[in-house]
Amino acid sequence: LGAGQSIQKTYDLTRYLEHQLRTLAGTYLNYLGPPFNEPDFNPPRLARAEQVPSATVDLDLWRGLTDNARLAANYRAYSRLLCYLRGLDGQAGTAELRHRLGHFCSSLQGLVVSIAGVMSSLGYPLPAGPAGPPLPPGAPAAPNDFLKKMDDFWLLKELQTWLWRSAKDFNRLKKKVPPAVVTLRLEARGF
Amino acid sequence: GLVQSCGHIIPESPVLALGSNFTALCILNESCLDFGNIYANQIIWKIKNRVVPKEQYREINRTVSSVTFNDTSSLATPLTCNVLADGQIEQNIYGITVTLGLPPEKPKNLSCIVHQLSKLTYPMTCTWNPGRHTFLDTHFKLKYRWPRENFPDCIPKDANNSCTISDVQFFVNLEVWVEVANALGKNESDRLVFDPIEIVKPLSPHNLSVNSGILPTVLKLSWENRISTAVMKLKFNIRYRIINETNWMQVPSEDTASPRTSFSVQGLRPYTEYVFSIRCMKEDGVGYWSDWSEEKTGVTTED
Amino acid sequence: AQRHSQQDSHIQYERVGADVTMKCGSMDWDAAVTWTANGTDIDDSHLNGSYLILKNVDLTQSGQYSCYEGSSWHLKYQTYLRVGTPPKEPVLMCRSNNYPKGFYCSWHLPSPTYIPNSFNISVIHGTREMVCEKDIFPKNRCHIRYLQLFLTVKYKVTLTVTNALGKNSTSLTFDEFAIVKPDPPESVVAKPVPNNPRRLEVAWQNPSSWPDPESFPLKFFLRYRPLILDQWQHVELLDGTSHTITDAYAGKEYIIQVAAKDNDIGTWSDWSVAVHATPWTEEPKHLTTEAQVTETTSASTSYFVPPPTTKICDWWAVRP
Repeated sequence: LGAGQSIQKTYDLTRYLEHQLRTLAGTYLNYLGPPFNEPDFNPPRLARAEQVPSATVDLDLWRGLTDNARLAANYRAYSRLLCYLRGLDGQAGTAELRHRLGHFCSSLQGLVVSIAGVMSSLGYPLPAGPAGPPLPPGAPAAPNDFLKKMDDFWLLKELQTWLWRSAKDFNRLKKKVPPAVVTLRLEARGF
Repeated sequence: GLVQSCGHIIPESPVLALGSNFTALCILNESCLDFGNIYANQIIWKIKNRVVPKEQYREINRTVSSVTFNDTSSLATPLTCNVLADGQIEQNIYGITVTLGLPPEKPKNLSCIVHQLSKLTYPMTCTWNPGRHTFLDTHFKLKYRWPRENFPDCIPKDANNSCTISDVQFFVNLEVWVEVANALGKNESDRLVFDPIEIVKPLSPHNLSVNSGILPTVLKLSWENRISTAVMKLKFNIRYRIINETNWMQVPSEDTASPRTSFSVQGLRPYTEYVFSIRCMKEDGVGYWSDWSEEKTGVTTED
Repeated sequence: AQRHSQQDSHIQYERVGADVTMKCGSMDWDAAVTWTANGTDIDDSHLNGSYLILKNVDLTQSGQYSCYEGSSWHLKYQTYLRVGTPPKEPVLMCRSNNYPKGFYCSWHLPSPTYIPNSFNISVIHGTREMVCEKDIFPKNRCHIRYLQLFLTVKYKVTLTVTNALGKNSTSLTFDEFAIVKPDPPESVVAKPVPNNPRRLEVAWQNPSSWPDPESFPLKFFLRYRPLILDQWQHVELLDGTSHTITDAYAGKEYIIQVAAKDNDIGTWSDWSVAVHATPWTEEPKHLTTEAQVTETTSASTSYFVPPPTTKICDWWAVRP
């Protein structure tokens, strides 16, 4: 795949994920039940939820990101978000919900693969290690069910926000690497 | 007395390729020689109950006799090693089962299609030509992977030429191939690399409705698409015929070549009942047409 | 007699329906006085001694009230009575039509108070207060510049309105993405396609207020109908700023509008200005493209609801 094509596919995947998450998050929050599924629910973000990589970024900083830095940020974030997502309650709700969570995880894994593909097609090295500060060893899991649900709430919200950010990231990248461009003379690692 | 396990044949129960050559050895135990006064040159090879021509025998030494078949096609099972004991009583020494077959051929014509089942469910079915019958227990596996990410193999159920992956992922190129193996060897198909989004057969549009408007030559169709624009943009074919007639007419495809959920069909006959049906596919023409939708009728107004 | 005014007048606010009593400055209750309203003498039926009694005042009774000492006609008291109401809960709306530059908030009162009101707006994000810079025009509006993007913490905007008769407030809590609503597309043009009696080509431009359509692309909804029909046909367009209508009624004049939305977030804009066009016919019809304000007005009130490796994971993987 050329870099431009690779970016377009990654963008399409981001929008597909966002489409999946829109209904999946609603279903999962309904599974968590009130107040988590109420539109105006605005809980505090506790320390554990701070571990989830945040999409928030200074506007000027975001605009000025190099392509490599932009892609690396996405790669690290989704690698970590994927870990958290896989930690969601394995007994979640119905078999249908579990199936869709599994499918979504696989799609998200696809996004990580896709971003890696874009980076290699542009000749950038894959970032090592997860995004965000490593968790202090022995950090406690949520002490009770409510706080665990709170963590899940923030994970889904952060994931949604990351997908919106990534869509804009890939729009910027598409602009700089039009589909027709010839791939860099680099052996596309992978296949 | 009875001869107890006076020898054995090697190889033990081989699987052999049809048309190949094969040599078996019958090895007598030393104990039998002393006790039964039996020697390799007394060995009689039999297929089932048919004696193998002596020309195919060879006495390797006092205790070992071999038999050779230039073409295993003439072989059958069991292959036994026997001796004439105590004068003229034929005594079986040992027997093996021989399985004949063929190594698997390279699976060919691998192709895959994603059938949309529901708004969010997209199983992918791959089919291939398994090649000649091997007469052996032969196992096929559909393998698929992303760069740096392998998926569990898809093991065909009650068929050896297709397998269905329950929920495929879009927008990431997938490498797909078939591996086949049996006792005589293994093989693998050519590898396909594609994005599953390019092989989708979407569900046909549904909830088609036909409304007559003010103009007697126009009927307006409305419908719902069952695949999200986040997955793909669609183009359409619309066909229609006068009720009780058989030949279908079709709206020029260039007129329905972009995403939409309605279309005003014009140039119809006033006060006439028409039957309509619609199908869709990916806008860029990559993939498969859906089935035609259920038919719906509508009547143009009087002139 | 010459009336002498030496008393400083001040403003007195009273609610509609209130009973108002005015004393004539330091004059005794039984002093002889004359009251005027906007210079017109008030008859004695409104007096209780030297006090002026106004029952169940209404808006028309706003005005300047003066009290003169009976004999010397010295102005002993003067006030400007403003009859009004306390403010009802204001209507506050925040919107980002130039994402990702920032957002603006605008407000109005559901009903007039007839007396001066003052508005105070506070914008809190997480624990930080942000300044909402007042716009010169329109008056009741201020805007916030985004310093950060892609936030998961909500904004809380609180508007307090105060006047002499009371105070009220309202607040909005929203996510950054929820208030993204572009302005309608601009420069909408529709024209027939020669030799194609059922086609119309429509083109438009991104709203000029949308700063970065390349990074933040818009998608569009186009609606069209022949004037002879009430029902619209709709087409969603995921990219590009033009579309060819292929099923226009031959020879019928069409009305066409376009709406815009960020490709991923927020809500649809209002409908654009309506344009008219008639498909090509053997004798090309007159092409009209004047704005249909009435159409827009009716159209602008309708919102369009748009039709969602596996490494060892630390933290949550150790959940109970």
